[in-house]
Amino acid sequence: MSSEQDHLKETDTEARFEFKKEQNAAVKSEKGLTEEVIRMISDDKDEPDWMLERRLRALKQFQNMPMPTDWPGQPDLSELDIEEIVPYIRPDVDKREGVDDWTELPDEIKDTFDKLGIPEAEKNALSGVGAQYESEIVYQNMQEQWEEKGVVFMNMDQAVKEHPEIVKEHFMTTCVPPSDNKFAALHGAVWSGGSFVYVPEDVTVEMPVQAYFRMNSEGMGQFEHTLIVAEPGSEVHYIEGCSAPKYGTHNLHSGGVEVFVKEDAHVQYSTVQNWSKNTFNLNTKRAIVEENATMEWVSGSMGSKATMLYPCSILKGRGATDTHITIAFAGEGQDIDTGAKVYHNAPNTKSTIESKSISKDGGRTNYRGLVHIADGAENSSTAVECDALMFDNESTSDTMPYMEIEESKVDVAHEATVGKIGDEDIFYLQSRGLDDDDAKKMIVAGFIEPITEELPIEYAVELNRLIELEMEGSLG
Amino acid sequence: MSTQVHANLTDEQVRQISGNLDEPEWLLETRLEALEALSELDMPDVIRTPGRDWTNLHELDFESLVDPLNAAENKDQVGPDEVDVLPWSEAVQEHEELLREHFGSVVDPQENYLTALSTALFSTGTVVYVPEGVEAEDVTIRTEQNSRSLFNYTLVVTEESSSVTILERQSTGSAEPRSANGRAAESGDAERADEQYYSGIVEVVAGENSNVQYGSLQNLSEEAYNFSLKRGSAGTYATIDWIEVNLGTQLTKSGVSTTLEGDSSETQIVGAFYGHEDQHFDLDAKVWHRAEHTTADLVTRGVTDDVARSVYEGVQDVGRDAWDTSSYQRENTLMLSDESEADASPKLIINNHDTEASHSATVGQIDREDLLYMTSRGISPRAARNMLVEGFFVPVLEEIAVDELREDLESLVATRLRQRA
Repeated sequence: MSSEQDHLKETDTEARFEFKKEQNAAVKSEKGLTEEVIRMISDDKDEPDWMLERRLRALKQFQNMPMPTDWPGQPDLSELDIEEIVPYIRPDVDKREGVDDWTELPDEIKDTFDKLGIPEAEKNALSGVGAQYESEIVYQNMQEQWEEKGVVFMNMDQAVKEHPEIVKEHFMTTCVPPSDNKFAALHGAVWSGGSFVYVPEDVTVEMPVQAYFRMNSEGMGQFEHTLIVAEPGSEVHYIEGCSAPKYGTHNLHSGGVEVFVKEDAHVQYSTVQNWSKNTFNLNTKRAIVEENATMEWVSGSMGSKATMLYPCSILKGRGATDTHITIAFAGEGQDIDTGAKVYHNAPNTKSTIESKSISKDGGRTNYRGLVHIADGAENSSTAVECDALMFDNESTSDTMPYMEIEESKVDVAHEATVGKIGDEDIFYLQSRGLDDDDAKKMIVAGFIEPITEELPIEYAVELNRLIELEMEGSLG
Repeated sequence: MSTQVHANLTDEQVRQISGNLDEPEWLLETRLEALEALSELDMPDVIRTPGRDWTNLHELDFESLVDPLNAAENKDQVGPDEVDVLPWSEAVQEHEELLREHFGSVVDPQENYLTALSTALFSTGTVVYVPEGVEAEDVTIRTEQNSRSLFNYTLVVTEESSSVTILERQSTGSAEPRSANGRAAESGDAERADEQYYSGIVEVVAGENSNVQYGSLQNLSEEAYNFSLKRGSAGTYATIDWIEVNLGTQLTKSGVSTTLEGDSSETQIVGAFYGHEDQHFDLDAKVWHRAEHTTADLVTRGVTDDVARSVYEGVQDVGRDAWDTSSYQRENTLMLSDESEADASPKLIINNHDTEASHSATVGQIDREDLLYMTSRGISPRAARNMLVEGFFVPVLEEIAVDELREDLESLVATRLRQRA
C-alpha cells in the first residue's frame, strides 16, 4: 500500500487538477443573457438559421420559467447569478473545428490536457478523443478503423453543418426539449461545443470514445451538447471527463446529453466529474431506449459546489434495459444531489439502479430518483439500491426515491441503507498494520468497487485517485 | 386554492362553537387566530414529480362540505377508572391547566390550511389523561359521524412511568347526513348529497418512561373525505406505538408521526390499508430522531384494487444531535388490479453519522407461483387469491398488539375480499 501511495504522490495529482491558465480568448461574449448575446454566439459559429431560431425560442422559454426552488431539500442555488455568467468563450485556436493533432494546439491548451493525462489515455485505451476548452472543442480525433466503418465522432458545432438532417431531427426535440426545465432551456439558448457520435447499424466500437471538458476562465458557463445516435445493433461506450480550476466567482456547467439507443443497440455513458468546488453543475441527460436495447449510465460526481443531475432513461421499446451506477462524494461545502430517472413505457422493460454516496466534512449527498412504470408496461421490473457512508457528524446523507407504479404485473424493489464507516473494520485493518488513513481509504475503495469495476481500468484508477485526494487533508 | 371556504366562515360561528363548549378565553383566541390565518395558509404538502401531483387536495369541495354549526355524532369514550377519559367539554372544565400546557404543543394549529380549519371548527373531542405509574388498557374512542362535516380533536397525556392502550374508530352513521341550512338539497346537487368531510387531529404527549399505544381504524363511508393528522412527542425512555388502518373514504390524507425528543425513546408506526373502487389514500409515516439512543420502526402494508390509488411517503429524519440512532422502514404494496396505482417515496434524511438506518419498499402483484401451487392443491383460484392477500397482511397483523383491532382488520379485509368477484 505504502509504495502505491508514494507512486500516486509522485504523479503530483493535486497539481494536475488545481492548476489554472491565463486565459487567452479570441471571442468572449458579454455577461448575461440577451438576444444579442445569443445572436452573437450563433453568428460567431456561422450557424444555419434553423439553429439560431431554436436558440432564440429556448431563450424565451428560459426567461419565462421560474428557477426551481420548490424541490424538497434541493441544493441552494441562490448564489448562482446567471446574469453574471459569461456564456461563451472561444479560445484562440487557428482551426475552428478543432485540430486532430495535439502538437497543433497552442501551448497553454496543450499543457492543460497534458497535465490531465488525456493524450496518454488516447494512445492506450480509446477509440477517439475530443477535448473542449471553454466553449469550443479544440481537439478531436478518432482512429481510422472506425471512420472507415462509418462511425462519426465530431464536434457538435461541426455536426450542425455536416449532418444537418440527423441533428435537426434529434437536437433538443423529442429527448430533451428546452421546455423540460429551466436549465435545459438555458442550455438550448447558449449551447456550444460538445460531441456528436453516430454509430451505424451493427457496428461495435470496441474501445471507448472520450470527451474531456475543461473550463479555465473565471465566471464562465460551459454548455456543451452531446448527441449520441446508436443505430440498431450497434454498440458504443462514451466517456466524459470534466474539470475546472477554482476561482473566486462561480462557474456554471449546464450540459445537455441526448442519447438515442435504437433496437438491440447498447450504449454506455460514463462520466467522471471533478468540477472545481465553486461550480454549479446542473445538467440534463436523457436516453430514449428502443426495443431490446440497453442503456448504461455510470456517473462519478466528485467535484462542484452543487450538482443536480439525474440521468434519465425512457424505456420506450419492449424489452429495453437500463442500468444506472452512481457514485457521489461530497466534501466540505459540497451539495451533491444526484440520482436517476427511469420511465418504463413498454412491456418487459428492466431497470437496475445502484447508488453509492460518501459524505464528509460537512458535505451533503442526496440520492433523488424517480421510477415510473406506466400502465401496460407489464412484466417490467426495477431494483434500486442506495448505500451511503458518512464520515462525521457535520455531514448529511439523504435518500429520496419516488416510485410511481401504474401497472400490477411488475416487480418493484427499493432498498437503502445509511451508516458510518465501521470502527470494527478500521480496527481490523489497523491490527494488520495499516494506519488510520490507509484503512479508511481502503474501506472507501471497497465501498465503491461495484462502480469502478464498470469503468475501463484507466478510469477506475482515476476515480480512486480523485477519491483519495478528496480524503486527504481531513484524514491526514 | 380554487375553493376558499373561509369566505363562508365567520368569527361568530367560531365564537358560538367555543361558547357552546364553555371554553376559556385563551382557547377561543387560539381558534380565532387559526380562522384568521386561513387566508395565509397553504394546503398540506403533497408529493409532486414532473407533470404529476400524487394527490389533488383541491378536489375537496369545502363550499358544500363544511357546515360548521351542524356537527352530529355518536360517541363512546370509555376507559378504566384510574384513567381520565373525558369528552372535550368536560376536559375544558376539569383539566384546563393540562390543556393550556399541551393543546397545540405537538401539532401547530397553523401548520397548514386543514389543521387551522380543524382548530377553528372542532366541536367534539376527547382528552385522555394517565396519571403517574398507572397502567391502563382498553381505552376506546368511537366516533360515528352523522353530519355533513365533523371536526374532532384528541389529546393524550401520559405521566411518568404510566402506560395506556387506546383504540379509536371512525365510521359513518347510517342516517342521511343533513345540512343545517339544507344547502345541498336547495342547490339540487344530488351527487354531492352523500359526501362528508371528517377532520381529526390527535396529539400525544408521552412523559418520561411512559408507553402509549394508539390504534386507529378509519372505516368511514366511501363517499367521505378525510384529513387526519396524528403526532406524538416521546420523552426520555418513552415509547409511542401507532397502528394506522385505513379502509374507508374516497379521499384520505393521513399523517402519522413521532418526534423522539427524549433520550432512549422509541416509536413504531404500523400501517395497513386496502383501497378499492376509486378510493385514494395519501398516507405518510414520519419520525424525527432528536435525541440520543432512539429507535424507530416503520412498517406499512397495503393493497390496491380496481382503480384505487395509494400514495405512501415515509420519512426517517435523524437530527445532528441524534447519536446512536437506529431507524428502519419497510413498505409493501400489493396490486390486485391493473387499473390501480401505487406510489411510494420512502425518504432518509440523515444528519448524524452514528446511525444505522435503512428502508425498503416493494410493489408487486400476487406471486404466480404461489397461486399455481395452491390451485394445484385443489384450492379454487378465488379462494387461493383471497388467502394470499390475507397472508400478505400477516407481517403487519403480527405487529398489532391490540387483539380487538387485529381481529377487526382481519375480518374487514376478509369481507372486502369476499365482495370481490
